[in-house]
Amino acid sequence: MGTKQGMDFTFSDTIAGYVVRFDRGAKSFVLKTSDDREFEAFLTPTTYARMTQNLDEGYIDCTGRIGELLSPGQLVYAYGVFYPDNGKFEVKSMIFPGDSPEKYRHEEQDWWIRQVKSIADSYLSWQFDYPNQEIDYRNYRTMLHLAGAKKGDYLQETDTISRMVYGMASAYLMTGEERFLEAAEKGTQYLRDHMRFYDPDDDLIYWYHGVQVQGDREQKLLTSEFGDDYDSIPAYEQIYALAGPTQTFRITGDPKIRYDIDKTLELFEKYYKDNERGGYFSHIDPIMLDPRSETLDKGNNRAKKNWNSVGDHAPAYLINLYLATGEKEHLDFLIETADTIAKYFPDYEHSPFVQEKFHEDWSHDQTWGWQQNRGVVGHNLKIAWNLTRVMNAVPKEEYEALARKIAELMPDAGGDRQRGGWYDVVERTLQPGETQYRYVWHDRKAWWQQEQGILAYMIMKGCFGDDVYLKHARESAAFYNAHFLDHDDGAVYFNCLANGLPYLLGTERFKGSHSMSAYHSTELCYLSAVYTNLLITNQPMDFYFKPKPGGFKDNILRVAPDLLPAGRVKLTKVEIDGKPYKDFDADAMTVKLPVSDTDLKVKVTITPVEA
Amino acid sequence: MQIDISVENELAVAVISGEIDGKTAPQAQSELLPAMGSCGKIVIEMSGVTYLSSAGLRTLLLLYRQAVAKNGKIALVGLSEEIKDVMSMTGFLKFFAVENTLEDGKRSLN
Repeated sequence: MGTKQGMDFTFSDTIAGYVVRFDRGAKSFVLKTSDDREFEAFLTPTTYARMTQNLDEGYIDCTGRIGELLSPGQLVYAYGVFYPDNGKFEVKSMIFPGDSPEKYRHEEQDWWIRQVKSIADSYLSWQFDYPNQEIDYRNYRTMLHLAGAKKGDYLQETDTISRMVYGMASAYLMTGEERFLEAAEKGTQYLRDHMRFYDPDDDLIYWYHGVQVQGDREQKLLTSEFGDDYDSIPAYEQIYALAGPTQTFRITGDPKIRYDIDKTLELFEKYYKDNERGGYFSHIDPIMLDPRSETLDKGNNRAKKNWNSVGDHAPAYLINLYLATGEKEHLDFLIETADTIAKYFPDYEHSPFVQEKFHEDWSHDQTWGWQQNRGVVGHNLKIAWNLTRVMNAVPKEEYEALARKIAELMPDAGGDRQRGGWYDVVERTLQPGETQYRYVWHDRKAWWQQEQGILAYMIMKGCFGDDVYLKHARESAAFYNAHFLDHDDGAVYFNCLANGLPYLLGTERFKGSHSMSAYHSTELCYLSAVYTNLLITNQPMDFYFKPKPGGFKDNILRVAPDLLPAGRVKLTKVEIDGKPYKDFDADAMTVKLPVSDTDLKVKVTITPVEA
Repeated sequence: MQIDISVENELAVAVISGEIDGKTAPQAQSELLPAMGSCGKIVIEMSGVTYLSSAGLRTLLLLYRQAVAKNGKIALVGLSEEIKDVMSMTGFLKFFAVENTLEDGKRSLN
């Protein structure tokens, strides 16, 4: 390992790489990084090693097996200290993502199912003291400390509850455990009772930013309390208000949820949509619901469009809604958002990162707040992931081309080829003499951006088959599972340092917060399980539903787990209330439900179709 | 819509008549907000209000938030049954002191 003149001090860091060779005599091994650079590392008498372990799993020491595990091709995270006096990198600890080169623990059939169960149980315990107390959303709080204790505030944000509901519904889909569905349904009802504003003039619905509660008294907050969006109604919040209820609707078909979704879609259609130039505005003012209101100038949000307002519909609720309804109207909306992204977001003449913020005529807005001319790595990866999903419903060359372009560019532009993982916010362009896109505030790595990388490359491997996508999927998932799981207090960390150690200061110490709750971590579990089992390792998977009487249209329950490539998976088994049931369409993945006056518990098995 | 604002014993009293709809709501907000002053209290006499649209409802909600931020309170006086129903349906009637007479409204803020 070389050093520049003047850099003559010791420092610790992580090298992520594949073992090239191990010299037992010299106690050294050579690692090749993801981008094919080789480094020699030395074991010391105190080097210890562990195997990646899942949440709720004990520590797996493998110090005694280091020699055996350092076989060629094995991926390993080696954390150590570099000594400039002899130029050696001495390894202090190692994490192995599996016990042989082609075995990754995160590809075990039930890895993500066990993980989602653990995360969901942590949040039930933290928010409601469940199972000691009943699940009661009056006790829900947005901010949670690292170990799950409430921070002492009285804020209940709509989006955070919705994200929690999403997590609970996803956990039910994967496990069938009743407590998760109870939490999802109670949360949905709480949102309806406390966070919903029914507009009698327009016959539509919008959602409060949240409520401040004190005892039985609650103060409703109509407009956003966040600095970026202050005193406006941002599209982002209305979109995420639907995330949890929609995932719950997939399970139950509850007509009350469907009504809320429909009326919120009308809000998007009537007030956020730009019928002339396409896309959706990012903010509207709270009085006139006008995206061009002068009052939005104070946040520099007047007549603007952004990634969230255009692109977040799909992953937050719209794909899940279409999976549940199969309705053309929802598919058309999906296509419209995907087309808009493919048309306006690429800016490859100037940057490997998409342009995320726009004026209403789609000219680039590079003056807004913290974004300026900066790129969010995870948003790029999220586009690749979701365009690939939509492509499975409507094959379009431009979707595949853009997804592939992003997948090709991101590892070098926004990934850490030295240590693994994905960076956060970077400058979109290089200055003279620079080869590395500059990290705007820090070189930390956020949990949600890792999710985007994992899901993008997993689904792209599954759909397109390229081995390079599997390589990046495995590296992304291995980094996340090695470093983000909080084995002491439960669930996952918000951020880690570049080297993978958790970063636990300030708001990044929290397990709640407006963006965290149980959303991205559970979404990752759900879709990683789906993509890994059904598209990569070819293993069947069970899913659980609990339709209400007369809930789903024509009594047809749609059980496709995601927008997957046509013909790649089939519905092979159905049980209703524990008994085998035969009235289903294997290819369409639909179940014709029997007439019932009670909720039905439906367990389905989805099986990959072998190539 | 017409708004007449007076101050009695340091308490702002606004008498509104006509329709509070999408056209007039911004004017209502711009006149009522400064009238609350630093104490965040105001009595709004609305017996002459013939129509309150959702934009008007949102205006009231924003005034309410400003009042709470200043540890104040808003009294609504003379609401028609129809407006009361709409406010009740949207879930925030209880945030306001709802009184029948101006005197009761003033008393409720003292």
